[in-house]
Amino acid sequence: MEHVSVGIIQQRGIAKRTIGAELTNPHPPMIKYLIAMYNAVSVFQACIRIKDSTSGANKLASQNGPSSLRENALQGIRVIDFTWIVAGPQCTRILADFGAEVIKVENESSLDYTRGIPPLMGSDSPNKSGLFNTLNRNKRSLTLNVMHPRGMEVLRDLISVSDVIVENFSSRVLEKWGLGYVEQRKLRPDIIYCSMSGFGHSGRDRDYVTWGPTAQALSGLTYMSGLPGHESAGWGFSYMDHTGGFYGATAILMALLHRNQTGEGQHLDLSQVEAGISMTGAAILDFTVNGRPFRREGMPPGNRAPERQIAPHNSYRCKGEDRWCVISVGEEKEWKAMVNAMGNPPWTEDTRFSNMTSRFENQEELDANIERWTSEFTPHEVFETLQKAGVPAGAVQTPPERTDLDPQLRHRGFLAEVEHDELGMTRVESMPMKMSHTPWKLDSASPLLGEHSAEIYMDLLGVTPDELNSFYEEGIA
Amino acid sequence: MNKGKGPLNGITVIELCGERGQLMGKLMGDMGARVIKIEPLSGVAERCIGPFKDDDPHPDRSLFFWAHNTSKESLAVEIESEVGKMVVEQLASKADVLLEDFPPGYLPSLGLGYDDLSSMNSQLIMTSLTGFGQDGPYKDYKSSDIVSLAMGGIMHSCGYDDVPDSPPIRPSGDHGNKISSHYGLIGTLSALFHRNFTGEGQYIDVSAHEACASTTEYALPMYLYQKKVVFRQTGRHHGADPTGKTLCKTSDGKYLIVFQLFNNLNSWLSLVKWMQKENMAEDLGDERFKDMARHRARGTKDADHAFEIVRKFISLHTAEEIYREAQIRKFPWGPVRSPEENLEDPHFAEDRGMFTEIAHDELGEGVTFKYVGRPYDLKETPWDATRPPIIGEHTNSILSQDLGYSREKIESLSKQNVITTRKLMPN
Repeated sequence: MEHVSVGIIQQRGIAKRTIGAELTNPHPPMIKYLIAMYNAVSVFQACIRIKDSTSGANKLASQNGPSSLRENALQGIRVIDFTWIVAGPQCTRILADFGAEVIKVENESSLDYTRGIPPLMGSDSPNKSGLFNTLNRNKRSLTLNVMHPRGMEVLRDLISVSDVIVENFSSRVLEKWGLGYVEQRKLRPDIIYCSMSGFGHSGRDRDYVTWGPTAQALSGLTYMSGLPGHESAGWGFSYMDHTGGFYGATAILMALLHRNQTGEGQHLDLSQVEAGISMTGAAILDFTVNGRPFRREGMPPGNRAPERQIAPHNSYRCKGEDRWCVISVGEEKEWKAMVNAMGNPPWTEDTRFSNMTSRFENQEELDANIERWTSEFTPHEVFETLQKAGVPAGAVQTPPERTDLDPQLRHRGFLAEVEHDELGMTRVESMPMKMSHTPWKLDSASPLLGEHSAEIYMDLLGVTPDELNSFYEEGIA
Repeated sequence: MNKGKGPLNGITVIELCGERGQLMGKLMGDMGARVIKIEPLSGVAERCIGPFKDDDPHPDRSLFFWAHNTSKESLAVEIESEVGKMVVEQLASKADVLLEDFPPGYLPSLGLGYDDLSSMNSQLIMTSLTGFGQDGPYKDYKSSDIVSLAMGGIMHSCGYDDVPDSPPIRPSGDHGNKISSHYGLIGTLSALFHRNFTGEGQYIDVSAHEACASTTEYALPMYLYQKKVVFRQTGRHHGADPTGKTLCKTSDGKYLIVFQLFNNLNSWLSLVKWMQKENMAEDLGDERFKDMARHRARGTKDADHAFEIVRKFISLHTAEEIYREAQIRKFPWGPVRSPEENLEDPHFAEDRGMFTEIAHDELGEGVTFKYVGRPYDLKETPWDATRPPIIGEHTNSILSQDLGYSREKIESLSKQNVITTRKLMPN
């Protein structure tokens, strides 16, 4: 297996690279430090790889050939990541977690918004946002000024050695750079280009702009969340940034599968609002088939379930300030179990509650009775009592309950630890799944701004140390 | 099923899913995979969830089922029966993917767990979607959409700050189930990509609880880094500190999301100019409103005053008027639409073809209904969907053509009430 190890070293460019000791430039401490650190780290990583390849992986390789050295599902896929804020970074985080090499292209003059927003652990550096850290773990950061002609040249070189380009700018930015899909294809014929805009890249409103809350409002999701007779409660966060990211990653994965079959790339035109609209299918059908609008008296349904006609199905006040549990009883035997778990209170014998239909029709009284019971317990007491009896119930969990108290999340390793140079040991939420052969990985925290510039410029793009110095001087890198 | 150009063409998926996992199968079928949904003889429980066509609670009339089950075939057989078990084994031994959302241990108890199936087909990718995961202290607990949204912390972030005693809100639309399905799909697709290089399948264990818990934006970072607990606020982001209201009422009784008033000086000036043109800017042209940085850091009296004037201005226009005029000026404001209102938005409905007529030949020749369309536009491998199946519609064709069962055998199984075969009977 010697040749495999050597291959890794050559691929990483260690044999060829000259050390930047002779560098002289106005950024000397930083660039020298970066280059020196990079060399040290690369050698170290290469050693680890050599060590690994002589143990278990080595054996697999001799049985099945080099493909079984794959540890991660997207190993070998390089992604140029122009995304920022939440939706795009959520998409590329998924790709990076699965092992793709995600190169986050950044620029000091227009930083990713989330580098500067709470939770901030200091304002002296662009590397101290906790939200940025969780959204951008496993990625590499390259500082590059595309407005500079030489910067654009380098970017074109980068495209020619990449598989995927993702961006979530408004819809004409890449075209304005002269880097629309047609141009990208000239540089890399099988490129997969994923644009994640608010309204898509065609149509009369393509220049409109969204943030998560805009997409939620337009698509109908905000309206569907709330108590009847009140304003919308909506979503308390940018759900469509998360979901826009899921759909972006899904489209890219499908396009990669297609490329494996045919060798062809393509443009993936994502619209954040359309992704939201696609999740309103049942409401749309109720209108197009039955003529019944969702905007009507009694809607949205609060925490009840008119579509399922089941009861109890609601949130209930518990002991403690603003503490709540939820209960959803979908079957008669669950109701019997719940009555038993509550200690068979006399009100449950009322004929108004004797079957699903009558309970559903008498929910006001039903819920008031149930809440009298739940309010004597904490949410987790209700949750445990009812679950032990076989009744679907839950606590409305707070952030600290999720991070530190939930034994299930702890058992499943929901929060993973990773060291960050400026934030220290950090905790980030895991990819929420276990995969038997290609589990998600956590190699690194979010990158410091420009942390990987030197290695990407020199190793991947063949930029010489002298030239790199000039990049820093002229504001190209 | 997609008519031949989808990126998942050639992939066969066996779906043993209820409400939590049904979206995975639909998303794969709409992109070209052949999805075989195995249902009990009387159909899956989702067929009993409303709304129903013409409010007729018939299992082939559930619009909830329709919305989540396009592009699938239906094979009706009891998997707990001997025949059922054999059918699943035979299909799984040739399939690429098996999706299921039963409680942990259920399929293994029938001899249909990953270990059993992968021993017949090492290339099989099996994705299990459960409420809490395959292991751990809660693994046998029951879950549902609202339970996932509560335990995962999403409800903690959604609700009201100005409705006294109001509860956290479950956003309706089955999003706990959808989030789980999204992650299940992503894992499944990544495994298919890996399999292209190695030929090996794998087992994927997705927990709805974790999927929801990792979909709450600021909530966890704010606590993990600063020990701040976010609280819910009406119609806008949860906050660790209170933020200004963004919902503005319009003259047609609707609402608009309005934010980033002080994003930059240019956009502020263009807002003021717009309002001045209609003589409604009052004193907003004053110099004191031009200090963007000061007003962005919330809570200045001037910022509050400005927002009240803007609110008054908005209240005298319809939601659509303000939306269009604001977007022309690059303000990311949007109307709070009810889903059906997008059917009349020319950008989505006409230019983008976001809604699509799907033929329902089972209800008569030429009958079609308008569905929501694609969540993404893959230019070379387009989305496409066919109507959801009626119960057991494809039992016959799958057993005879895919598994080689004789007509006599199928008839006999049908008589023994082990399978349901259905023919289309328009009414």
